[in-house]
Amino acid sequence: MIQTRGLSKRYASTLALDSLDLTVAPGEVYGYLGPNGSGKTTTIRLLLGLHRPSAGSVELFGIDAWRHPVEAHRRVAYVAGEPFLWPALTGAETFEFLARIRGGVDTAYRDELIERFRLDADKKVRALSKGNRQKVQLIAAFASRAELLILDEPTGGLDPLMEVAFRETVTEAKRRGQSVFLSSHILSEVEALCDRVGLLRDGKLIDQGTLAELRHLSAQTLDVTFAGPPPKLDGLPGVRITSAGPSTLHFEVTGSVTPVIDALAGHPVSALSSREPSLEEIFLHHYASSNGHARA
Amino acid sequence: MRAPSAIARRAFADSRIRTLAFAYLFAGAAYANVAGYSSAYPTLAERLSFVHSFARNDAVRMFYGKPYELLTGGGYAAWRVGGLLSIFAGAWGLLAAVRALRAEEDAGRAELVLAGTVGRRGTLLAALVAIGVGVTILWLGGFLGLALAGLDLGGSAYLALAIVSVAPVFVGVGALASQLAPSRRIAIELSSAALLTAFLARVVADTSTSLQWLRWTTPLGWVEELRAFSGAQPLVLLLPTGVGALLLTLAGAIAMRRDVGSGLLPARDRTPPNVRLLSSPFAQTLRSERASFAAWLLGSGFFAFVVGVISTSIPSAGLSGAMRRELRKLGAVSITTPAGYIGFSFLFFVLVVSLFACSQIAAARAAEADEQLETLFALPVSRLGWLAGRLLLAAGAIAAIGLFAGVCAWAGAASQNAPVSLSQALGAGANCLPTALLFLGVAALVYALAPRASAGVNYGLVVLAFVWQLFGGVLEAPRWLLDVSPFQHVGLVPAQAFRAGAAAAMLAIAATAAAAALMVFRRRDLMGG
Repeated sequence: MIQTRGLSKRYASTLALDSLDLTVAPGEVYGYLGPNGSGKTTTIRLLLGLHRPSAGSVELFGIDAWRHPVEAHRRVAYVAGEPFLWPALTGAETFEFLARIRGGVDTAYRDELIERFRLDADKKVRALSKGNRQKVQLIAAFASRAELLILDEPTGGLDPLMEVAFRETVTEAKRRGQSVFLSSHILSEVEALCDRVGLLRDGKLIDQGTLAELRHLSAQTLDVTFAGPPPKLDGLPGVRITSAGPSTLHFEVTGSVTPVIDALAGHPVSALSSREPSLEEIFLHHYASSNGHARA
Repeated sequence: MRAPSAIARRAFADSRIRTLAFAYLFAGAAYANVAGYSSAYPTLAERLSFVHSFARNDAVRMFYGKPYELLTGGGYAAWRVGGLLSIFAGAWGLLAAVRALRAEEDAGRAELVLAGTVGRRGTLLAALVAIGVGVTILWLGGFLGLALAGLDLGGSAYLALAIVSVAPVFVGVGALASQLAPSRRIAIELSSAALLTAFLARVVADTSTSLQWLRWTTPLGWVEELRAFSGAQPLVLLLPTGVGALLLTLAGAIAMRRDVGSGLLPARDRTPPNVRLLSSPFAQTLRSERASFAAWLLGSGFFAFVVGVISTSIPSAGLSGAMRRELRKLGAVSITTPAGYIGFSFLFFVLVVSLFACSQIAAARAAEADEQLETLFALPVSRLGWLAGRLLLAAGAIAAIGLFAGVCAWAGAASQNAPVSLSQALGAGANCLPTALLFLGVAALVYALAPRASAGVNYGLVVLAFVWQLFGGVLEAPRWLLDVSPFQHVGLVPAQAFRAGAAAAMLAIAATAAAAALMVFRRRDLMGG
């Protein structure tokens, strides 16, 4: 579906994207995560052949996206992060326009989506709020039944009910075998929907894999309550104490937990719970270490 | 005090280019007309002959209003300069008011400002202060032009004041329309209709004998009644200031109580779908541009009709010195014949159609800045095809506007039984095309290379080329330097022969530039706003 090799983009003096190697397989939902300004939108503009790669290549369905954009786009639908569209057209007119350009649309599914997203399709785009313009884009994209959907922070401006509708729609697309490239910084959304996740920082893909793989590399959290005073675990490899009470310990363990289990043996443990890291914790773990990036 | 002054400075900066362009126009038109009058009619006898012929012509009065005193340079300026520039002062006023008061709300910026520490009253007053500074700059432009041309300082100051006296009224009209209309476009339409009404009232008052009282109903008539250089009546200034203040008070009162972002008139935001002209990006462009096409077509058609009507009544004594010099330079066409007058006047239509070409490229840039192109080019739409279609559409509209102006000039001339054939008039219209297409091609290339700067550069190039062609000769610039301006190579069809060689060269440059523009556009990054 998507294949990039050494893809880089330089704007004047800043390197916005640094040799990205990315593959999205058919039927896969790929979450593309990163803070603001990390290069997510740049990547998408390169994927769509809107900007010219400084180095490397992009292929969609094996077609070079920069050299042959028209052919590459026949089976792609795109939702832009900034839903400007054509202010003088109504939602319904926008659907018609985009469908005719693409040359195909599932009108029954489109009507279903209009219902699901509760869009007033007879309203002019200029009179719609950002969230409603975003719905126009989403409905047009999903109703096209394109094999590949490229979504750039598609749920900005959607309320929680519509967020649910969005997740339902992505799940349907996945069930049909469509691929989705979902750029986002809403972690719960990515966690709920995506098969694989790529983490972008300062134009570099710093980590990539299934959630299970990412978790494996990250710390898991343990909360232990003791019948007596807790033992000292500070010196153990991979252990970081987050808080300690008179009879409790909260800590994270990176890597093997065997040394911790050994250390706990012989102490009166009254309760123990362990938790896999959430995507948010993985995210913070990756980004908090880099200077200049707030924990946001 | 700091926040309101920041708002005022922002409002002034938003429209500074338009303000400066108008001030430049005021200064240039004032200077050129007064200087031309003095050199064309140095003696009283020549001035009397001018008064008896040209100034009595009704068609001329339509444009410039009623003359009171034409035997002095000042009186001539009051009629000719005052009559024309007062319309521009009105247009500037309404554009400035709508820009500051409605466009800001349309864009949602007004909400940001109002969410701060400055209230509605403060915001409104700050915008009006900025507009006041703009009016002062316009006044200064007019004053300098008149004074530098040799009129006395007091009289120049008063005439310039009379001209800009129209501005406050139409600032009031624009401000009121901004409260009524739900969008910028409708606010401009409403207030333009008011300006047109004011103009028509003056036309009727100045050309009829029984309806002269209508002059007192229109701000453009008040300018005439201020009688600069012919027994000044400064008390008349109370009318524009009073009406302006009244309209602004009314607008202010509405602004205090209505919802930000909406107008008193209901917005027509819900319509059943109309899917005509949505089959392709090309069709959709035509759909979104059709209103603008119609406005350019009808506007230039109207003025071409007026040119046709006037063409029969230009006596030799009515030539200003600047015109005579211009004509000598261009090869001794007599504009006292209808064909000569039409040929000469259509030089200005070449300018108009060239500016239209720039407006089309500016619209293409706007589609990119608003990220509509990003949506479009993510679909199976070729960039090359899109820009080529855009240029083709612009070229078609250029041809339509030029030829329609020719037809209208013919109709105007025919209404006066002037000996101008339809084919001659169509020739004058067709003669506009090579230059306009040249500017279209060049503008497209500038757009492809430097999208963000393109609008300013393109309009600037056309205006510079035109002004250079008009005044370069006066400055006695060397021939080769004059020849840089494409306008220098336009034959005054139908009085002169069509310059086929020059036209072919322009078309060749246009085609080359357009081809280069397509190649560059295909290979560059899209640039949002």
